[in-house]
Amino acid sequence: MTAPSHRSFEQAVPLDRPEDLAGFETSLPVIAVQRRPPLAFIVSVAFVVLLIAAAAVPWLFTHFDPLVGDFTEGLKPPGWAHLFGTDRLGRDVFARTIYGTRYSLLIGFGGVAVGLGLGVILGIIAGQRNRILDECVSRLFDMLSSFPGVLLAMLIVTFLGQGMLNIAIAVGIAGIPKFGRVVRAQTQLVRDADYVTQATVYGLSQWQVFLRHVLPNVLVAIPIIATVYIGSTILIVSGLSFLGLGPQPPTPEWGVMLAESRDVLRVAWWPGVFPGLAITATVIAFSVVGNFLQKKFEGRMA
Amino acid sequence: MWSRIISRLFTSLVVAWASVTATFVALHALPGRIQDILAGDLEYPGLREAIAAEWGLNRTLPEQYLDFLFRIFRGDFGTSYVLRQPVIEVVGSQLLPTVELALTAGVLAVVIAGGIALLTAGRSNFSREVASVLELVFASTPVFWLGILLLMAFSFNLRWFPVSGAEGWKSIVLPSITLALPTAGLLTQVLREAMEKTLDQPFVTTVRARGVGEFIIRWRHVLRHALLPAVTLGGWLIGGLLGGAVITEKVFGRPGLGTVTLGAVLTHDVPVVLTVVLLAAFIHVAASTLLDILYVLIDPRLRAQ
Amino acid sequence: MFDAPATRALKKYVQVMRMKNNSLLVNGIAVALLGIGAAQAADQPISGGALTWGVTTEPSCFDPHRSSQQAAFFVARNYIDSLIAKKTDGTFAPWLATEWSISADGKEYTYKLREDVVFHDGEKFDAVAVKANFDFIFKPENAATAVSLLQTFDHAEVVSPYVVKLVLSKPDSSFLESTSNVKLGLISPKALEKGDLCGGGRALAGTGPFIFEGYTRGQSAVFVRNPAYKWGPGNAAHEGPAYLDRVTFRFLPEYAVRTGALTSGQVDLIEGVQPTDAPLFAEQPDFKLLTGPSGASTSFTFNINYTRPPADDVRVRRALRDGFDLEPIVKQVYLGTVPRAWSIIGPANPAYNKALVGSWGNDIAGANKLLDEAGWTGRDSEGFRTKDGKRLSIEVGYPQPYVRDNRDILIQGVQASLRKNVGLDLNLRLITAGEYAKNNANGTWTIYPNTDNPSDPARELWDMLGSKGFLYANISNPDPEITRQIDEALASTDPVRKRELTDAVQKRGVDQAFIVPLFAPSWFLAAKSTVNGLSFEAGLDSPSSAYDFWIAKK
Repeated sequence: MTAPSHRSFEQAVPLDRPEDLAGFETSLPVIAVQRRPPLAFIVSVAFVVLLIAAAAVPWLFTHFDPLVGDFTEGLKPPGWAHLFGTDRLGRDVFARTIYGTRYSLLIGFGGVAVGLGLGVILGIIAGQRNRILDECVSRLFDMLSSFPGVLLAMLIVTFLGQGMLNIAIAVGIAGIPKFGRVVRAQTQLVRDADYVTQATVYGLSQWQVFLRHVLPNVLVAIPIIATVYIGSTILIVSGLSFLGLGPQPPTPEWGVMLAESRDVLRVAWWPGVFPGLAITATVIAFSVVGNFLQKKFEGRMA
Repeated sequence: MWSRIISRLFTSLVVAWASVTATFVALHALPGRIQDILAGDLEYPGLREAIAAEWGLNRTLPEQYLDFLFRIFRGDFGTSYVLRQPVIEVVGSQLLPTVELALTAGVLAVVIAGGIALLTAGRSNFSREVASVLELVFASTPVFWLGILLLMAFSFNLRWFPVSGAEGWKSIVLPSITLALPTAGLLTQVLREAMEKTLDQPFVTTVRARGVGEFIIRWRHVLRHALLPAVTLGGWLIGGLLGGAVITEKVFGRPGLGTVTLGAVLTHDVPVVLTVVLLAAFIHVAASTLLDILYVLIDPRLRAQ
Repeated sequence: MFDAPATRALKKYVQVMRMKNNSLLVNGIAVALLGIGAAQAADQPISGGALTWGVTTEPSCFDPHRSSQQAAFFVARNYIDSLIAKKTDGTFAPWLATEWSISADGKEYTYKLREDVVFHDGEKFDAVAVKANFDFIFKPENAATAVSLLQTFDHAEVVSPYVVKLVLSKPDSSFLESTSNVKLGLISPKALEKGDLCGGGRALAGTGPFIFEGYTRGQSAVFVRNPAYKWGPGNAAHEGPAYLDRVTFRFLPEYAVRTGALTSGQVDLIEGVQPTDAPLFAEQPDFKLLTGPSGASTSFTFNINYTRPPADDVRVRRALRDGFDLEPIVKQVYLGTVPRAWSIIGPANPAYNKALVGSWGNDIAGANKLLDEAGWTGRDSEGFRTKDGKRLSIEVGYPQPYVRDNRDILIQGVQASLRKNVGLDLNLRLITAGEYAKNNANGTWTIYPNTDNPSDPARELWDMLGSKGFLYANISNPDPEITRQIDEALASTDPVRKRELTDAVQKRGVDQAFIVPLFAPSWFLAAKSTVNGLSFEAGLDSPSSAYDFWIAKK
């Protein structure tokens, strides 16, 4: 293997430019998460599988309706009847947390899809052997990442209006620079790899080399990039829903639930604890899985 | 060295110019008339005409663009038509509490991260394991939830700190911890990695061979080297803290840019949101430029060039 | 034994108590308050000191002529006086006018004014100033919301420097009360000329006991004592200038934050106490809790636009009205501190139609039958009823600046019940004030949740259901029956006939489900025990101004 191939995606991004890390306002453990013991990975994979199941078939996990509660059962603490207790309208917090998985994952994946989609196009353009194009696109990334991500997303929501789809788009656009830079680095990595340079020597045109070797090798990395970044995207999304810019009540989205919990915090801790736990656990699980996959596959990328 | 600094300044100016240009392009690329976009959700007779006059919408695009650039350069961010006030008055009066919060949290994050990295870098013991798990947890925790938890524990149950407001030192304790912890989680990871790389360097072995104590080595030599790459994270740190401050203010009911921005987003008050976003970008660019220049001045290898 | 303000507060308190003696919680509060009242009875009011009042709502506009936020009016009362003052018993007391008379034909209202009143900007208060105010509000281009109280107003005449005559185009039984309303309060003519006064500050010069010192958006509004004030309303507890040097309103929209601000001593008084926090203040000797003046005005209601499909079908509206059990929802959200509503008019209002109690609601089988009859027989994947592939969905557009007092949570409760019981999608959406204004101007609003600004009962009914009221002004085909009844009630000078008509309007409103009453709102105040003189003002149906407040020494 060639020297560059030993570097992970992030390390391929030169770390001495602060702009490279911008966009992680809500912060994701990108650099570290060193070699986790396999146990952490297995637990995380199991949790991710559980999350996906909860998003797909939430009714298998609870028989309670997430939207309709019993008004005489308001603010009951966690117990056998209600695992996570009830909120002030008597709705089961466990059921709402389970059903909430769908919204968080959907918006999170939506945001990553938008950001990656645009990031891949720009990143590949920047990764070509054209210094002017590279410079232009890189400055575009600099410019985009000079806006704090949360604020940029808020600006986009101002233009587009509130709602689930709109915050996915907003978070996606705010994430373009980080996706774009990773893809740019990956493109350069593949481009400079020995076998690709050799392909050129064998007389393939630049376009053919790009289509046959560079593009497939860049695209194959996308699921892993997506897994690494889904966590940070879910974090930003939950923040925007907490501010009331995403799905509206009574949608059982985690950020919305936490926003609702504030009014009863003095007397009831449970509506303010469990949805937050769900967010943190989800972000950790995706980070661990993403980083492990990245380490495992990094050798085969270039 | 000077050429490096000048080229850094130039790049920053280009980025700042590009961000102003981008907002101008975005405004014009959006579907609908600019008057309607800028008016927000407000409607009164003569409003559209007033906006068209203020923004010179009857002129050519290049003229409008130059005018826009020039006005921003002079610090004139236009009028909030929803609040019927100059934007700079609306935003300016709320800037201080937010900057105060972001700065306090920033200092706190650096201190926490530095301390933990100092104690745990390069040691394969239990404390390092615990620290790295904690970092992962804090870096994965939404700030607003952390705020809610701290409120529950320290305001409602223990009653050590007030629930809200911006009066007195006590009111800033919980919000700044809330904002600092997730940032510190990430910063510690960066700092420790840098310290561990430094610890592997030959000069450390040399110093160690001279019989210098482990703590002194870390404090005097290693931390200083490791701080250099961390310093360049400063700009990112400030941008992130400004964004996070908006959410933290909402949790704690603190006055500041958060309230203003959120209100403006909900009433589609584009001039106000635009100004807040641009100001944050300028602060971010200025801070990271300053730190980069500082970096060049501090680092002997670069200074020698 | 008791000094006047304390007695007043207690009286109010007992009034509220009588209404809800079924509530254990409130009983506990009353006992706590009685103890405090007795302890302070010996104290005499003292001048001086500053008070910080944490309030729920930051007024969008401080100009009473232009505002329509209930929560903005008691703030405005601190710097705005009216011609006359409404007393708790429904009669009127002199204020800036010492005497008033109504002509035999009911079309001329003559007010004799005090001669010693000065506006905060130094301008003299006289008949010319009064005329200038009414002319200003009446002019359509000034877009004053208070114009809704001047529907029958024709013109104002300056009879002599201190006598003003307001002439109506036809008799209006609500007009006298309107002149006590803060929305028709008096502002210096010089200030009116300056144009937009929404931002407050010294520019907004009234004659009130406090002068508007300044306003910081998102934070606070500050008022300082008007030392020249000697024209307090006839129903106030004292005369002369206010006791407090300074009153600061701090805008604290979060419940937890308001509660925390009071318990930690950052503010002296809060409005909008979360029901779960009420015991915290009622049971502690350092604090007191006050609630009132419940249901003196109108209930919190769903106003259904009965001209827009699918709610143009009375069967759909009735199904919405009867498809849920209101009692447990109100009980859960407000923990038994407020009663559910039966009529549009509040239960403590003399014009309340008691016959409506128990006459509607919670008939789920009936509601389902009505919807079946109306053709909403399909069901979609989420369990909502459909007709011709269209979901049975009605939007509740709730303007954000008006959301307070857990009312959005209450609506969510109703929403959940209707979804489960009858498959109706009550789509709650928080909208901007601007979006609401547009919907209103086009007549395209669907359900508007509302508590009407207090005024004469016939005028309140007109406001919500009348042909030119704020909801139906831009709808061309309002119900002829109910609009006729309302117009007749307004023109009626015979109180018995007027009562018959307002009863009939309430009955028709609920029977046709033009309106679904939800609950009778109360204001919850909590204060440090050293804050005295707190009360509620009948004319505002809200807390009073800080004129009678005083702070006892510890």
